[in-house]
Amino acid sequence: PTPLPGQDVAPQRVEIHKLRQGENLILGFSIGGGIDQDPSQNPFSEDKTDKGIYVTRVSEGGPAEIAGLQIGDKIMQVNGWDMTMVTHDQARKRLTKRSEEVVRLLVTRQSLQKAVQQSMLS
Amino acid sequence: MQDRLHILEDLNMLYIRQMALSLEDTELQRKLDHEIRMREGACKLLAACSQREQALEATKSLLVCNSRILSYMGELQRRKEAQVLEKTGRRPSDSGPPAERSPCRGRVCISDLRIPLMWKDTEYFKNKGDLHRWAVFLLLQLGEHIQDTEMILVDRTLTDISFQSNVLFTEAGPDFELRLELYGACVEEEGALTGAPKRLATKLSSSLGRSSGRRARASLDSAGGSGSSPILLPTPAVGGPRYHLLAHTTLTLAAVQDGFRTHDLTLASHEENPAWLPLYGSVCCRLAAQPLCMTQPTASGTLRVQQAGEMQNWARVHGVLKGTNLFCYRRPEDANTGEEPLITIAINKETRVRAGELDQAQGRPFTLSISNQYGDDEVTHTLQTESREALQSWMEALWQLFFDMSQWKQCCDEIMKIETPTPRKPPQALAKQGSLYHEMAIEPLDDIAAVTDILTQREGSRLETPPPWLAMFTDQPALPNPCSAASVAPTPAWTQPLPWGRPRTFSLDAIPPVHSPRARSVAPLPPQRSPRTRGFCSKGQPRTWLQSPV
Repeated sequence: PTPLPGQDVAPQRVEIHKLRQGENLILGFSIGGGIDQDPSQNPFSEDKTDKGIYVTRVSEGGPAEIAGLQIGDKIMQVNGWDMTMVTHDQARKRLTKRSEEVVRLLVTRQSLQKAVQQSMLS
Repeated sequence: MQDRLHILEDLNMLYIRQMALSLEDTELQRKLDHEIRMREGACKLLAACSQREQALEATKSLLVCNSRILSYMGELQRRKEAQVLEKTGRRPSDSGPPAERSPCRGRVCISDLRIPLMWKDTEYFKNKGDLHRWAVFLLLQLGEHIQDTEMILVDRTLTDISFQSNVLFTEAGPDFELRLELYGACVEEEGALTGAPKRLATKLSSSLGRSSGRRARASLDSAGGSGSSPILLPTPAVGGPRYHLLAHTTLTLAAVQDGFRTHDLTLASHEENPAWLPLYGSVCCRLAAQPLCMTQPTASGTLRVQQAGEMQNWARVHGVLKGTNLFCYRRPEDANTGEEPLITIAINKETRVRAGELDQAQGRPFTLSISNQYGDDEVTHTLQTESREALQSWMEALWQLFFDMSQWKQCCDEIMKIETPTPRKPPQALAKQGSLYHEMAIEPLDDIAAVTDILTQREGSRLETPPPWLAMFTDQPALPNPCSAASVAPTPAWTQPLPWGRPRTFSLDAIPPVHSPRARSVAPLPPQRSPRTRGFCSKGQPRTWLQSPV
């Protein structure tokens, strides 16, 4: 698939198998963003009006890291659900559905160099 | 004389009833009948009252009934005129050529009304003489609908008049005008001298203190005339308390905001008026509006939507256009069961809609594309309808939505929360309202503990957590950390710093203290680190960028 404008790399498919921790199913990463959030505070986005959902942290050795998810990735879809126009809470809910043990994400990421630059600047 | 006036009034009522019947407007007729009956009841009650405070309530009911009757009469006459002109084939004089499109109706709710007072130092501190008390209430009018707040007793221990009422108007247009009027009456018998002959009255008034004497004279002078006002009819010649218009203002769409705002009041009475209150000159309130286009679906039907990024994959969905989104559900039932939609397409002021496809493929007619700009990216969703008629009706619904958004402006950014007003309890025995300041000593308070004690005693069990302002004096952060996990409860409503030393009125833009224990949406704290939003509890521009672990 061809890359979207503004992204150097083509969209990636990441399949995460959730890990059971007691009563919870965790993925091992954190998200930031949403249409109800202030996009100018997003350290990972190139465009500071981008209200999309971004990966802000990936736990070491967790399911997300094993599946190849990286910090700074922008999540476009989760199991076919659109994530580009959702609130922060809606995004969190779509990732943490108890009935789903596997989530397939469609993510886009900037080139490694740019990602490092961004996180150093913020 | 009294009898003649009563007969005249009865004739008026008869005339009004006949008018309503002739118009065959059953709804307005019913409302008029109801008000006339209420008015009769209020008159009887007033005549039977022995206590001043009961009389105040009854007079207030009477005045509100009168004003509603007047307003419905006006509406009746307008409709009658329109009917007559229609029959003769002419257009009514006050409407131009028919507008192409009319904006949707909306619900307008005004709540948390608070009017600051400004007592003179001498009155407040010296505490001399008897305590003057006033009975006040607000009358609100939007279109032909009139509503009133509860009546509140005011004396000089109060720094603000705070109304608990939550007033809702349901048929407002974006061009609404909400007129707000404050009425006041003396609780003490101002009319004690109105019956007495003039000479005796002058003798008495000259022997009273200067200010009360002045008031007695003013009440004598105005006893003949009526305290006439735009909304209220003059009181019939029934002996009883007299309400005077103290201040008014008109609020429009520009004043609507999902938060508290302060507006100027036009003062309508002067010191000579017996019911004059030292008003600061502003009114603080929350005026919210919910246009129907935001809360009700405006269109729905079957669509085929092209998934973004997947060229040949068309999904059949059930589309629902509501508020600022086009929700595409997998099945029609999902819209009602709370299932997440497959795709949500934003529709706002910047969205562009085009009928027809950019690259018209064979056998793919009746499409419309919706484009939104996200920074440098433009995301376009292409939708296919089932027929030309379906396409036209979707386009029509979208144009109507864009029009409504242009008319209702900020009300269409996000849905403003409106609480259904709880039915008001019948007026209780009117107890004197105390104030926090009355209980505090005037000397500068350095003792936080003493202040907290007074607060705790006063607020009772409602102070489970330490008030947020405590954080200003200690090192522990009482305000929520925005980077913490997403489950943060809303903070209690008592959020302003306590005034020290000489008591002053609350800051005009601060949140009023909660008197009733019912839950309500909480306005944000001044330093804008607010907890995570839930549902539609909006607060203007988002100031946070929360992170949540999953």
